[in-house]
Amino acid sequence: MSEIKSESVSSLVDNYSPSTDDNISAHLLDNMLKDEHLSSTWQNYHLIGDVLRDEVPQALQLDLSKTISAAIAQEATILSPNSSIYSSSKKSESSVTEDVTDQGEELITETNKVIDASNRFKAKIAAFVKPMGQVAIAASAAALMIVGVQHNVAENSSVTPNQVVQTVPLSGYANPVSFSVQSSQPAQSQHSKQQTQQAMDEQRLVERVAQQRRLQALLKDHNQQVKLGSNIK
Amino acid sequence: MKLSALIFLLLSINVSAITTDTESAKLSLERLSQSLRQLNFTTSFVVVKNNQAEPYHWLHGVGANGQELEVFTRLNGPRRDVLRQGEVVSYIEPEQEAYSLTSNNAQSPIPSIFRGNISELEESYRFIAVGRSRVLGRVAQLVRIVAKDKYRFSYWLWLDQQSGLLLKMAVLTRQGQLLEQIQFTHIEVSEQLSESLAKFQLTELPAVITVNNQQQNKDLSWQVDWLPQGFSVIKSNQHNLNSYNRGDDKAVEFMLFSDGLAQVSVYVNPSEESYRAAEYASDGATIVFNHVLQGIEVGVVGDIPLETAKRIAESIGPAVVGKLKDSSAPDKEQ
Repeated sequence: MSEIKSESVSSLVDNYSPSTDDNISAHLLDNMLKDEHLSSTWQNYHLIGDVLRDEVPQALQLDLSKTISAAIAQEATILSPNSSIYSSSKKSESSVTEDVTDQGEELITETNKVIDASNRFKAKIAAFVKPMGQVAIAASAAALMIVGVQHNVAENSSVTPNQVVQTVPLSGYANPVSFSVQSSQPAQSQHSKQQTQQAMDEQRLVERVAQQRRLQALLKDHNQQVKLGSNIK
Repeated sequence: MKLSALIFLLLSINVSAITTDTESAKLSLERLSQSLRQLNFTTSFVVVKNNQAEPYHWLHGVGANGQELEVFTRLNGPRRDVLRQGEVVSYIEPEQEAYSLTSNNAQSPIPSIFRGNISELEESYRFIAVGRSRVLGRVAQLVRIVAKDKYRFSYWLWLDQQSGLLLKMAVLTRQGQLLEQIQFTHIEVSEQLSESLAKFQLTELPAVITVNNQQQNKDLSWQVDWLPQGFSVIKSNQHNLNSYNRGDDKAVEFMLFSDGLAQVSVYVNPSEESYRAAEYASDGATIVFNHVLQGIEVGVVGDIPLETAKRIAESIGPAVVGKLKDSSAPDKEQ
């Protein structure tokens, strides 16, 4: 049984499935993962293969997987929850902060990891430096944007402008002028309300036309005077 | 120690870079001025403002006796031409009969300072050569004419590397908002005078009218107490402002100011109303501002930001010399 299994593991290592049926090889893999003996066999076969192919590094680190998992365990517990607690405790109200801190502490104690003083210090420094870093990033992003915008404008070969202050044809102005409208009117009957509304609209229209005339006249005269202006110099 | 030395080094590099940029920008602008006066060229351009595009033809050449010939024609809508033979400029407009003036500047969408003395602009603007790009299929040098203060606009010019001529122009606010653009769509520089200009050379322009100089520069009863640095008076007079109200002309006292690029008109006249809220409209980069304060109506028109126009209008006061105008009761309605 064990020999058969070892054989199939060997063929798996050689990237060759012992059976065409995928289910069986999947089953085998499951078994292998559960069985410590088999997984060490798997490891050894790989090592043998590496040695044969002359792919072994100078310094053999036989148990890489364990160090990696240890490293992962360490990182996950210390850095992420701690820094988030730190930043959130600064912002939010005390009750929320306590909750979060409790949660965080639970997380930390759950993993049975003791955070030593240096790590705590590092986390604090990270939290302190972070906003400064963000400012620096924002500043450089702004600088990039300025460069980008200028570049954009320079590259903007299309005839249509990006923005125009207003769309004003020379023959008549649309003005951004607000007229003082009395909004606090006493309650009136619907009919008279409508009438006053209409009257106000008319008055506004008249006022608007007069205003357009005034501005138009000024612009026209300005253009004329600029032409004549060069006459006097 | 090391750090300060490094900073000093960086600063000195920056300063020298800026000065060379300014010098090369000025050289480009001087070349533009020279090209606009001396080359024979046939061009088309489009003025983009108010979401509209106005196409123009622009011909320029130097005639047989060294006389400059120039024609601006607006191609859309009613005919609006500017013709120039040396010192005589004719305006053909739909509103009035054709007339001519004695001047060496044809008033056109292209600011006339560009063919004049560029260094006049140095008081109010900085020149910066920015870089090269491709405009109208040509290699163009971008030169920025940047306002030194916040009271005026900046102008970006794309100049042809080969001929020195203008390929594109943009008027921008200090915040970089685009107000007006001129984009050339065709440029042809030739050794010889173009055929149409050769014909135009022989054409007789309308009679030169003389502007009534008696009213010029007379003492006005008011003065502008604030203007951005660099603006100076071009002229002042009293004339009738045609408000197109069926013969309802009103007399205004008028002053024209210029900083070389931007021209600002100020109109002052007594009003029947004692107060009217500020109203304004813009035509591309040109703002038209009008208000009535204490019975005095003030209008400001020019290629300046609204804030500048407002500040100029608010600075109007009675002239120190001359009769004081007693305004009506200073009541403010909201």
